[in-house]
Amino acid sequence: MDRILEIGSFAAGFCGRLFAQAGCEVVRVEPAVAEPGWVSAAASDLFLHPGKRRLQTSDAELITKLANRADVVVVEAATADALTELGFDAWDTNVKVAITPFGRTGPKRNWRATSSVLLAMGGYTYIMGDPDRAPLTLPGHYVDFQSGQLAYTAANACRLANEKNVIDVGMLEVVMSLSQFTTILWHCTGQIRQRHGSDYWSTVPTNLFACTDGWVYINIVPTFWDPFTVFLDRPNLVIDERFSTNNLRMENRDPLHEIIGEAIAVMTKAQVRARATAHRIPVGVVQTFDDVLADSHLAERQFWQRVNGSNVSVRSPSPAFRIDNAARPELTLAEPEAGDG
Amino acid sequence: MADGPLRGVRILDLTHVWAGPLGTRILADLGAEMVKIEAPYGRGPQKAVYTPIGGWIGGEAGDEPWNSNAIFVKLARNSRSVCINLKSEAGRDTLLKLVQVADVIIENFSARAMPSLGLDYETLKSTNPRIIYVTMPGYGSYGPYRDWVAFGPSVEPMSGLTNVTGYSKEQPFNTAMALMDPIEAVSLTAAVVTALRQKERTNKGARVEMSLHEAGVSYSGPWLIEHQLGGNIEPIGNRHPQMAPHGVYPCRGEDEWIAVACRNDAEWASLCASIGSGLDPGANLEQRRGDHEAIDAVIATWTRSRLKTQAAEELQAAGVSAGAVNTTPDMTADPQVRHRGFFVPLEAFDTPMPGSPIKLNGASSNDWTPCPKLGADNAGILREWLDYPDAEIGKLEQNGVLLNKPPT
Repeated sequence: MDRILEIGSFAAGFCGRLFAQAGCEVVRVEPAVAEPGWVSAAASDLFLHPGKRRLQTSDAELITKLANRADVVVVEAATADALTELGFDAWDTNVKVAITPFGRTGPKRNWRATSSVLLAMGGYTYIMGDPDRAPLTLPGHYVDFQSGQLAYTAANACRLANEKNVIDVGMLEVVMSLSQFTTILWHCTGQIRQRHGSDYWSTVPTNLFACTDGWVYINIVPTFWDPFTVFLDRPNLVIDERFSTNNLRMENRDPLHEIIGEAIAVMTKAQVRARATAHRIPVGVVQTFDDVLADSHLAERQFWQRVNGSNVSVRSPSPAFRIDNAARPELTLAEPEAGDG
Repeated sequence: MADGPLRGVRILDLTHVWAGPLGTRILADLGAEMVKIEAPYGRGPQKAVYTPIGGWIGGEAGDEPWNSNAIFVKLARNSRSVCINLKSEAGRDTLLKLVQVADVIIENFSARAMPSLGLDYETLKSTNPRIIYVTMPGYGSYGPYRDWVAFGPSVEPMSGLTNVTGYSKEQPFNTAMALMDPIEAVSLTAAVVTALRQKERTNKGARVEMSLHEAGVSYSGPWLIEHQLGGNIEPIGNRHPQMAPHGVYPCRGEDEWIAVACRNDAEWASLCASIGSGLDPGANLEQRRGDHEAIDAVIATWTRSRLKTQAAEELQAAGVSAGAVNTTPDMTADPQVRHRGFFVPLEAFDTPMPGSPIKLNGASSNDWTPCPKLGADNAGILREWLDYPDAEIGKLEQNGVLLNKPPT
């Protein structure tokens, strides 16, 4: 199995997590100062770093030695120059992956960025939120994790080809490459996609609705319209001309939302879900974290992995894929060592 | 086709909509020999009945609307197209012959679809024991929700993300961006290379299962663990639990904004030096969090007097994380984006398409090929992969097993 050297924060950490889960030997160089995250350092470490060896060192000579012994080195740096200062270019590792906010070249290669800055520059923020309010940023580590996962894919691709290479992952480009139709809508129609709250807008009805004990998300693409009216117990909607096509439903969005809102408001989440199952309607329930952790589907699928820290034990989501239905092993989070390699 | 480290890896791509095709595009950009196995109506009917959500390439449906759906075209570069009627026995047999000489087959149908076509894993495996089969039903192939209908926006609230997204805790918020799809797409790429590397060691194929649901929940991991540790997590709008100030501020012009974040005390001091106005450069994180509203007001007064790009340039020059809230025309005009040639005018009418976020030494988009027309490679693939004689291919075409346009 490959030896991996991981240096950096959440993106490199997620990349290293995938390598560790795949059975590789991962050595993580802990940063001198942790980057601010969306959760406590303890929670973040339990999620990202089980199964890795963690070294606390800033010794450039030692890091170079570790890099030269590794098959893959994954480095996440705040800027292109910061990457160079680490000695990245001199390391003789087979596969070297650089993750930086803007990539290693270009006039903004040394700009600084957080996830919120990258989401803004990459077109996500403009379309999130209510139209009459400030755009809304996406919480969490979406940008980091997607970047880390792409770094993992690229590094493994090079290892498969037995190819020595240097990989440049620019996080802004990660965001821009993962838009659904925002960019082509502009290039093909000249329209700029706007923000409309939780409403998907171009497909109606697709929005959050309140029920007696929470919220549900209704997602009715045109092929589901007829069964949706039965699900809603409003079968006459099928012959209501105001709603006979998606375009007409867009035009008559407000009255339709009112009808749906009234019907959903008297149901519980469980009732909505049961009716959705019976009528094969795409509906999601807004689950609390307790709900997610208690979810019977995830439990039956043995989705959770037990992770043990020095004085705590938690359930962590396993990676998003499972090969040959292999069991999820219990993992341990090692304490950082003041390492000499 | 793209050259890249996955050259020589043969993948049969039966996926549709977004998550699957986005993932296979990334693999194709890395050089995989990607063959889309397409259903006759997979790109829509012969006559356009509605405008697709991303519009038409070139702005109009044209004579072949099924080949002009922009959102499809965007996801299909560097691939080849074989259009097979899998509901026919000959179509199914043809696919199984392709499976014999492929490395990977990927599908994102519902849990029931492949078995109902007689193409369950056991059948594929008996055809080629070294095949890697990736199945991506929305909620997986087993478990209480296996038959639930799944789309990205409706799966998102099941992931936990909706709990933390929004302006306040009073109302949950859905991104309305089908965010589970790009998460699953990128997870798919990781899954495929992991399985290929396992095969490298074992010389055996594998069955890989993933779902939109689990992909989404996996990204909620830090919150789910924090919750178990007793942490309090709720929507906080554009603020951040460990950074202050952190927000989206108005700039000069209508609906023009900038994102600004101070990751540490040094960035805060730089921000204060840039905008002045009596802010305390020595304030620590707790103090800044306590004064967030007042600080936001000062920043907003400063940003309102500037264009978003100007404000970002000034703050970045001082070492503060800041960036304009961009629309697509803003992005395509960005000097950084242009310098790196991110948008690639590959498709018809030189329509710019998002490029690859993975840059490898020695690789470029110069050898990329545009989205193939439906069924454009029916004969080519059958000849190259299976040595089919022209007469056999002609027979399959005559019998409606191989198609190059949707049936009337």
